[in-house]
Amino acid sequence: MDYKIGRSVSLYSYQEEYYLGKMNLEDCIREVSKTGATGIELLAEQMVDDFPVITPEFKDQWFGWMDKYGTEPTCYDAFLENHIYDNRTLTLKEQIKMMERDIKIAGELGFKTLRTLVSTPMDVIEGSLGCAEANNVKICIEVHSPFSLNSGWADGYMNMILKTGTKYFGFMPDWGIFAKRIPDVARDQARRKGAHEECIKLVDDEFAKRCERGFVKIKYDLNLGKANMEFMKANGFFDMMEKIEKMNGNEADKAYAGDSFTYTWNDPQDIIDNIQYIYHTHAKCYNTHEDYTETSIPIPEVIEAYKKAGYHGFVSTEYEGNRLINDAFDVDSVEQVRRHQEALRRAIEG
Amino acid sequence: MFARHMFNPEGFKNTVVDGKTVGFQFDFKIQYYRGVTLSIIRNIEVWVDGEGFNREDIRFTLEGETFTLEEMRTVIDYRWKFGQWATVTVLKDGGLSKGPHHIKCTQTIAPSYMPHILVNSGEYDFVIE
Repeated sequence: MDYKIGRSVSLYSYQEEYYLGKMNLEDCIREVSKTGATGIELLAEQMVDDFPVITPEFKDQWFGWMDKYGTEPTCYDAFLENHIYDNRTLTLKEQIKMMERDIKIAGELGFKTLRTLVSTPMDVIEGSLGCAEANNVKICIEVHSPFSLNSGWADGYMNMILKTGTKYFGFMPDWGIFAKRIPDVARDQARRKGAHEECIKLVDDEFAKRCERGFVKIKYDLNLGKANMEFMKANGFFDMMEKIEKMNGNEADKAYAGDSFTYTWNDPQDIIDNIQYIYHTHAKCYNTHEDYTETSIPIPEVIEAYKKAGYHGFVSTEYEGNRLINDAFDVDSVEQVRRHQEALRRAIEG
Repeated sequence: MFARHMFNPEGFKNTVVDGKTVGFQFDFKIQYYRGVTLSIIRNIEVWVDGEGFNREDIRFTLEGETFTLEEMRTVIDYRWKFGQWATVTVLKDGGLSKGPHHIKCTQTIAPSYMPHILVNSGEYDFVIE
């Protein structure tokens, strides 16, 4: 199949250095361009000072940077703050207004896709489709582990796509759904917090078993907590916790066991099956080694599916390993992103 | 989540208003990966050397504006930016004694998309000169 896979970086990846004041927004964009990636993904709520106001000065600067560094905007990551007040949920009208605010900002800054979170109510998405079309921005629901494609959960959205016939809503997988192993940095952090080797081994073995026999997929439910609880139960969470209890596991053991359910392995065939509706991708990574292998995610195997599917779009590095090491170590996001981009390049061009 | 870098080492001092020491203050950063409206900060708790303080006695100052925690519930036009220092003032007659102290502070943050509320804490040793 004819494919055109572009490389992008989510500036989320550089959050540690940004937070510490070591890098500003322009520094982040410059680092992306140095890796050879051409796409920029942005969390405006993380790095745009005047958000939600986009000043003419910022807009000029933004497009100036895109020219200067040879980059283009790919995905705008939105957060629908529908519990902005502690005493009520925003009404449907208020939520659509907030969604439309973000779609307009995305369009104004040249983004072609907008990431919305799994918690976004279906009727808010449907109500925003007209605005998305008017601004030429595709709304993409993030398929974030433990959610997955080819699942009862995804069917709910697929039905909406088929019902409305929209071309302005689809999926963006996050590669946390292609984690074949628990990240090594997560294991080391559990050890620092006092987890026992026998409990770690149990959790790792259980994870390997789930990968081998296949995860039971999550269902669609407006109540995400309920859907997640059923998913965990069906995949043996409570049986595993019982074993940890019997081994006199401590808090660190239980936390490691709980966190192991945030990673899932799905067949990359899911990408091929749904390619028509996939408009962007979070290439999640936790720790890319010097030999350009990622600790959890088999990059060549996943990229192969995108090639077979004939994907035309970006894969966007989303480094999230910082939180697994920053309790004890300094974080070098720049090097992690560089390695990950090189790994992507090899897989795409190889 | 960035607990090691939560506090500004230079920010700890007693707060003096019109020649009277009305409390103490410190600067800290948000323990979350993006900026949020102040309405999303649902609580701030402070303990110094094990002594806790009333919610009513805590003030939050950002970009020159000061809010009580109760007032913050409705503040949506001020955002605590990612990586930005905000100042907490704890009202306490006479402030803290000179010398070394230990602080523990929690931020209760409620991002709308999360099924649970984040309670992130940081601790620090500091000296009042």
